Amino acid sequence: MRNLKAPLAAAAVAALVLAGCGTTSERTSAEPQAGSSKECKGADGKYTIGMSQANVAEPYRQRMDDDIKAAAKDVPQFDVKFADAAQDNAKQVADVENYLTQQIDLLIISPNEAKPLTAVVKKAFDKGIPVIVLDRKVEGDAYTGFIGGDNVEIGTAAGKFVAEKLLPSGGNVVEIKGLAGATPQAERNQGFAAGIKPNPKIKIIATASGDWLREKGQAQMDALLKANPKIDVVYAHNDPMAEGAYLAAKAVGREKEMKFIGIDALPIPSGGIKAVEQGRLSATFTYPTNGKEAIAAAKKILVDCGTIEKTQTLQTRLIDKSNAASIYAEENPTG
Amino acid sequence: MTNAQDKSATAPADADRQAEAVPPTAAGTTTAVSAAKAPTAVAESSGGVVATLFRFQSVFGLLAVFIAAIIFSPRRDGEILFLSADNLANVVRAVSEIGIIAVGMTFVILIGGIDLSVGAVLGLAAVGSAVLMVENDWGFLPSIVVVLAIGLVFGALQGMATAMIGIQSFIVTLAGLQIARGLARIWSDGQGVAIAYGNGPNEAPDSFAILGERTFGGLVPIPVLIFAVVAIAAIVFLRVSAFSRHLYAVGGNEKAARLSGVPVIRVKIAVFAICGLLASLAGIVHAVQLNQGSPNDGIGYELDAIAAVVIGGTSLAGGRGSVAGTVAGALLLGVLNNILALNNIDSNIQLLIKGLVIVAAAALQRLRPAS
Repeated sequence: MRNLKAPLAAAAVAALVLAGCGTTSERTSAEPQAGSSKECKGADGKYTIGMSQANVAEPYRQRMDDDIKAAAKDVPQFDVKFADAAQDNAKQVADVENYLTQQIDLLIISPNEAKPLTAVVKKAFDKGIPVIVLDRKVEGDAYTGFIGGDNVEIGTAAGKFVAEKLLPSGGNVVEIKGLAGATPQAERNQGFAAGIKPNPKIKIIATASGDWLREKGQAQMDALLKANPKIDVVYAHNDPMAEGAYLAAKAVGREKEMKFIGIDALPIPSGGIKAVEQGRLSATFTYPTNGKEAIAAAKKILVDCGTIEKTQTLQTRLIDKSNAASIYAEENPTG
Repeated sequence: MTNAQDKSATAPADADRQAEAVPPTAAGTTTAVSAAKAPTAVAESSGGVVATLFRFQSVFGLLAVFIAAIIFSPRRDGEILFLSADNLANVVRAVSEIGIIAVGMTFVILIGGIDLSVGAVLGLAAVGSAVLMVENDWGFLPSIVVVLAIGLVFGALQGMATAMIGIQSFIVTLAGLQIARGLARIWSDGQGVAIAYGNGPNEAPDSFAILGERTFGGLVPIPVLIFAVVAIAAIVFLRVSAFSRHLYAVGGNEKAARLSGVPVIRVKIAVFAICGLLASLAGIVHAVQLNQGSPNDGIGYELDAIAAVVIGGTSLAGGRGSVAGTVAGALLLGVLNNILALNNIDSNIQLLIKGLVIVAAAALQRLRPAS
């Protein structure tokens, strides 16, 4: 009991002092918005930003890092560091801790999973470091802002495109799904079902799980082709699986009988936009990497001393033959 | 006659073994081979310094990396960030899981085996802790006991498969890796099981949360304490128990060990059981630190553990090495990871550097003059 007294008294005194001296502006700055308990140095400051990536082995995430790097080049005050957790939650926790040791000015994190990263993100946020969370959320609200796509909306857009453009008079669809248990998989499935609903003549005749992988999509499509003599549209939850399905159909000479659509539309040579441009896929839907938007948000917080929205949802875009080339060029300004 | 020949053939290994960890009085075969050992004694005393250097290779390695870390550490306002108490606590905490696994792995490698299943067993144990405490509302103790027992039995079964059927441990534990991963996926329905703490339904007891906290004025993370206890227990165990003599004998020359009356099968089963037990202990620590048990936890951890053992100077051929070396090896990897991260070295370059360090450690071992 005696041990507790001193710290308790100290805490009480501290609380009184804070309560007594706190001006209105200090109180608002203690609120969770922007984690701005540090004084904003604005455009004169130099800022180190730590970017903690879940796994750069996924092309989508490598592209996210690249987008951040490219966008940060235009902000002379920013110096962005990158860490890769290689899909290991424990490693990502250590990565963020190391950033805290380095006393970064802002944290951007694309969490591997929500629950295991929540505590360390909160730790950073509680230290007054603004935190921008990308693509996958963390639990609670101890972060400055979340920027991500809406997979339900993307699935719905894909469904509508099939219902209205590809198969207005109905037809057979096979769906190649992402990894079982993954949230985006469930959402892209659910959204698509809602999108095709207005057209009752469209039937999903078979589904298979391609685990997000090109080779798995190909193997699953091999079987689907044998089992189903009439397929009009293949809807895959990402572009690599759609490409794999295309290869399977091509191997048995049936690729002209059906249309292939995917999701993600990465503006990289092996990505979905190129596949649309080259005619293998009929369409793909962008799943934004949020990299550019993250740097814009960081600039707003650190350089402009402003605040950002708690949740920013980016719209998807339909990529088809008509706009593939121009969007690819737009996303890769230098080459 | 064949018996004697076998023993003399193992003489160099025996001598080395003794230098490593076996108490002189405990080495039963020493008298039989003392004649064969005599000539090497001279060489040993003259090359004593070199031998000592090699014997504590990983400790010197750790020291070197530590000093390098201080030199290359980023500084802020004159403070060496690497040496800040918070950072050092992070380093040892990040190392504790791999360290616990690596201690068990040292036992397995000392008998000339390998255990590739430890990462998957860690995942199984993490899932087990989460499911039992959160979904089944079990208490702290029963959950921990059951999870540890699962690891122990899993390891023992692998030990039986390799010792009694005679399948190479590489194959047995490669299969064990798949089986443990599969069990973890089934048990968790393929989803990470989030852990919340409290007394209500679907909450893990608060006593479990303590395992992830810090003690001694918030300086020492509990996982580090667990690692320290495991490491010290293993070192003491290898020094005082008769079992350790058997362990080094099996690793040095299995046939000779069997002929001289070492219960080889029992030793092997025990060693794999210990390794499984420690992997499941690491899984419990993993789950509490990340507030989640996921079937994908611990992927690739077996390789980090093997790396720590190899850097620690334990020979993959068996019969030579020490737990203390492994602890130093694990810490070396932790310090290396930390200082590379603090300097924001590109993650791809980090992989190259870590690979080169492992090769360097293995190369040093080849140069070692002991046998």
